[in-house]
Amino acid sequence: MPAMALLSGAIETLINQVLSFDPDSQQRLEKLNHACLSVFIEGVPNGITLHFADKVEVSIENDAFEALEQNLAAQHCCIKTQLAVLPELKETSQLTRLIQQKKLYLEGDINVAQQASALFKELDIDWEEQLAKYTGDVFAHQAFSTAHRLFDSLTEFATKGQRIAANAVVEEKELAAHKLAVLHFCDEVSDLRNDVERFEVRLAQLESHIS
Amino acid sequence: MSDHQSVDKTLPAQGQQTTTDFGYKQVDKSSKASMVAGVFDSVAAKYDVMNDVMSMGVHRLWKRYTVDCAAVRKGQHVLDLAGGTGDLAAKFSRRVGPTGSVTLADINLSMLKVGRDKLRDQGLIQNLEYVQADAEALPFADNTFDLVTMAFGLRNVTEKQNALNSIFRVLKPGGRLLVLEFSKPTLEPVSKIYDWYSFHVLPKMGELVANDSESYQYLAESIRMHPDQETLKEMFEKAGFENCDYQNLTSGIVALHRGYKF
Repeated sequence: MPAMALLSGAIETLINQVLSFDPDSQQRLEKLNHACLSVFIEGVPNGITLHFADKVEVSIENDAFEALEQNLAAQHCCIKTQLAVLPELKETSQLTRLIQQKKLYLEGDINVAQQASALFKELDIDWEEQLAKYTGDVFAHQAFSTAHRLFDSLTEFATKGQRIAANAVVEEKELAAHKLAVLHFCDEVSDLRNDVERFEVRLAQLESHIS
Repeated sequence: MSDHQSVDKTLPAQGQQTTTDFGYKQVDKSSKASMVAGVFDSVAAKYDVMNDVMSMGVHRLWKRYTVDCAAVRKGQHVLDLAGGTGDLAAKFSRRVGPTGSVTLADINLSMLKVGRDKLRDQGLIQNLEYVQADAEALPFADNTFDLVTMAFGLRNVTEKQNALNSIFRVLKPGGRLLVLEFSKPTLEPVSKIYDWYSFHVLPKMGELVANDSESYQYLAESIRMHPDQETLKEMFEKAGFENCDYQNLTSGIVALHRGYKF
């Protein structure tokens, strides 16, 4: 069974479902009308191509990046990057830096990559409303309020725990140095390095003077 | 007696044949098209539902794989033969864009109407055409299409070789044909389970969901009468296709044949 077909089907369903949750996404999708974005991840044998029409179609690319970039049509952008770099592509201002650092190879229409990035970056989904469609407003509101309270409590608990642990390690058990002590030590090391450098220069001058 | 043994083995030599298979029955060649039409008139309304039920949704993956293998590009012209309810045509329509075109052709008007309504409901109108056409005598000029696909349609054609010849004619040089069709399972255990499913479960499902067991009995029989992978590949080559190959999907229950016109 072609597992890649299953994977592309799952990705396509997920993308279209998520886009359907944001009513404004259709407007952004129209800007990409009939553009294509091919994405290749280093180490993954096949790339995927997103075809932007009234909805997003996802297909598996059988050609390699090098073969595809030779035959790019208008409104087709082809990128090759690493998995770790993918999240950085959300910031369109970072594209040039990534290309210069050779973390991103981009061929074709850069506008397509920027608009596709904007399509997903500007997603504004009211998850509470989505849940309310299935459970009703009251349950959805309660569920989200509880989730928010729980999240806030967990965040507070984590912050407090971190503070207590830091205090125990630094002050009570003295297992680690205090942040200020580390900074002071770093400054002293820096001063010492400068002194040594000055001494080396002076020594060199004296040697040249004697000889 | 097994289902396979009921096939008439005493056929006259090729070239003298006046009959052809309709499932396991031998019927006059001139009447097969109308009998197949009867089957699809009967199932058209529930075709998509039955496909999902019978294949447990796997037909969507087979079709998706076919579309991916087609590697269609913007501005290309695609003929989806025996396109039925337009599953492939919808995907091609989005991929070729407004500068390309997709022609959905089917010999059966009922299926074509269901496909047209379904695609229009999805908002797909601008690059789609609908043509009622016989695959054996395609009403298109020579060298018209970049790609021709035929999913689960070839086995219903009376003279399969004529259909392949006709497709070869309408393809542009450099164009390719993809035929997705039921085939012969490559593993014996799969084959046994598949036979049992086809002849015992499938007609009952047809009866239950579409109130039509005979059409689904025909479906099972027509699959067994369809040429196996190697035979169909030879038919491709006989029609003039080059670089022909095939890929077995789900242990050969379905095969995707591909050939190029150079």
